[in-house]
Amino acid sequence: MNTPTWALSAAFTFSLAAFGCSKSAPPVAKPTPLTTLEIKKVSADLSKPDPAASYWKDAPEGLVTLLAQPMIAPRPETTTTDSVIVQAVHDGTRAAFRLRWKDTEKSEAGRLGEFSDGLALEFPLRDGPPPPVMMGAKDMPVHLFHWRAQYQRDKEQGKPSIKDLYPNQSIDMYPHEYKEAPVGSPSAAEKFSPGVAEGNPQSYAKTGVDEIVAEGFSTSSVQEGHGSLAQGAWANGEWTLVIVRPLVIDGGSTLKPGGTSNIAFAVWQGGKGEVGSRKCLTMQWTPVKVQ
Amino acid sequence: MSKVKNWHLKREVEYPYDGSRPSRQWAIIFDLNKCIACQTCTLACKTTWTSGKGQEYMFWNNVETKPWGGFPLGWDMRVLEKLGRQEWNQQGEYLGKTLIEAAPAHERVLHFAPTDEDWMYPNVGEDDCAGAKMEGGGHMATMPHDKWFFYLPRTCAHCTYPACLAACPRKAIYKRPEDGIVLIDQTRCKGYGECVRACPYKKSMYNPHTRTSEKCVGCYPAVEEGVQPQCVVNCIGKIRVMGFVSPPEKARDDNPVDFLIHKLGLALPYYPQLGLEPNIYYIPPIHADREYLRQMFGPKVDAAIERYKKLPDDAVAQGLLCLIGSTDRIMHRFEVNKGMAVGFDDKGAELVRVPVVEPVIERAAYDDKLGAIRNNTP
Repeated sequence: MNTPTWALSAAFTFSLAAFGCSKSAPPVAKPTPLTTLEIKKVSADLSKPDPAASYWKDAPEGLVTLLAQPMIAPRPETTTTDSVIVQAVHDGTRAAFRLRWKDTEKSEAGRLGEFSDGLALEFPLRDGPPPPVMMGAKDMPVHLFHWRAQYQRDKEQGKPSIKDLYPNQSIDMYPHEYKEAPVGSPSAAEKFSPGVAEGNPQSYAKTGVDEIVAEGFSTSSVQEGHGSLAQGAWANGEWTLVIVRPLVIDGGSTLKPGGTSNIAFAVWQGGKGEVGSRKCLTMQWTPVKVQ
Repeated sequence: MSKVKNWHLKREVEYPYDGSRPSRQWAIIFDLNKCIACQTCTLACKTTWTSGKGQEYMFWNNVETKPWGGFPLGWDMRVLEKLGRQEWNQQGEYLGKTLIEAAPAHERVLHFAPTDEDWMYPNVGEDDCAGAKMEGGGHMATMPHDKWFFYLPRTCAHCTYPACLAACPRKAIYKRPEDGIVLIDQTRCKGYGECVRACPYKKSMYNPHTRTSEKCVGCYPAVEEGVQPQCVVNCIGKIRVMGFVSPPEKARDDNPVDFLIHKLGLALPYYPQLGLEPNIYYIPPIHADREYLRQMFGPKVDAAIERYKKLPDDAVAQGLLCLIGSTDRIMHRFEVNKGMAVGFDDKGAELVRVPVVEPVIERAAYDDKLGAIRNNTP
């Protein structure tokens, strides 16, 4: 079940060829290393991310190679995700990226010590010489689109309650939710829930994908989003994920039709304890050409 | 990697950031000979700070029975196993590796990562007795008894070189320069849990509701007002005192905390070999297994216990121990004069005055005036 889709296709093509039927079934190319990501123009509505949409059939595939993040500790001891198959299309206002990678277990985090599967796309935030590929540098910011299975679960089912995460837990009462007590108000409950009180985006329901700006290690911060969307599906040991972002983002990274940019990738396997700097990533920028 | 001075280990240790001691360092001293594990401190903290969603399991302050108890399960044994056997020399200098020095290249701190289940049994091991020889005559047959346990109350140690701070890849953890309290910036934290993994004392905890990590805040709003933390002021056994500890070269004999730690050598940091210069200090229990205590408190524990046994001869120390628990305010200075112990705040104003020895009044067993037998029943 872990056989890559392209391998199945190649085998199928071979068997057809053996029976002299190769003309009726055009061979599906095995993904080759991605040297330039061409974002093809399609006449389709990309406002909803759709991993199974028909336009993906014609979009060229390329394979990017990932390695365990090597620069700063903590980092994975070994490479857990070695490649991602990448496709991209745009509709004149939005770009959609389809990513596929192997992950033997689906991890959505939630309870203590659990971490989520995730993937991030990285772009230089400004034109000009590309910033250092790993999180950019001071005055050379990068713009990230960070999807997590955990965030997608928020979008689909709402942010899980403690009862969702721990169905058998019991508690006498939450004092701040005790209606008769003078402290029993929603604002009091919020005040004593520090992440919520401080407006930390992590403490609120997510829409699936975070937009993040960084200027070097340890500097990433979640920004107001620009309507980016994501939809992932895990099946048979593989994630298929689509991230949709606006082509042009005022004050953010921009992909102009006919123009060029750069892209990089990172993947987290939550089931292997990967989070934050414990990730696998591409070690260099891949050039982007927008049709 | 920087080299920073760790006076607990009498040597320089490796740390990812340069050394920068706060102008004052928050510290608590606990007298383990007096703790009865009533958990009043635990509940004082719980009701003050962690009664909300996602905090159900949290005990920023807990009291566990040693050697078998631990929250989370086996936190101490599991980190010591990782570190392996290390040595001190005769002069009290640590020859082994700290958790940061022993970390593999892909980690910042040598650690074990607790699982969900590890946090769910805070009372496992409670009141379990240790000691080997149960055969013949039972556990009371020997004097002194060879069975032992003691209670260990714990908060965050607001370490001088915190592992949580060292491990956070987002730099969301900071140590306040004004009082050394270590806090997690709740606007920056993204819940990676690196602090939960790295803190060997396991005093950073993940909140699954806010999806950020949280920890003991040292009751900083109280400390800013000159008041001791909730776990200290609610201690019914008066076993603890919070103050500001100085490094040895700046120690003042009239600072209550400095006096017990530096002047008397009575209060010791726990697991100093981990290398973080933790700032909770313990007066060790005099009846527990000495080998175990040496592992927990280092080579100075024997001298501390001998000193404790001589306290009846030390009027100044006795006076200070009487002051502990007698005021909610933070004592910055104390003096013992003419049988009275007096505590002062940072401006020199008197906070509290107690007799070193409570006056004893002997009364006849029979009250002639009332025609009644006197007894001590309140």
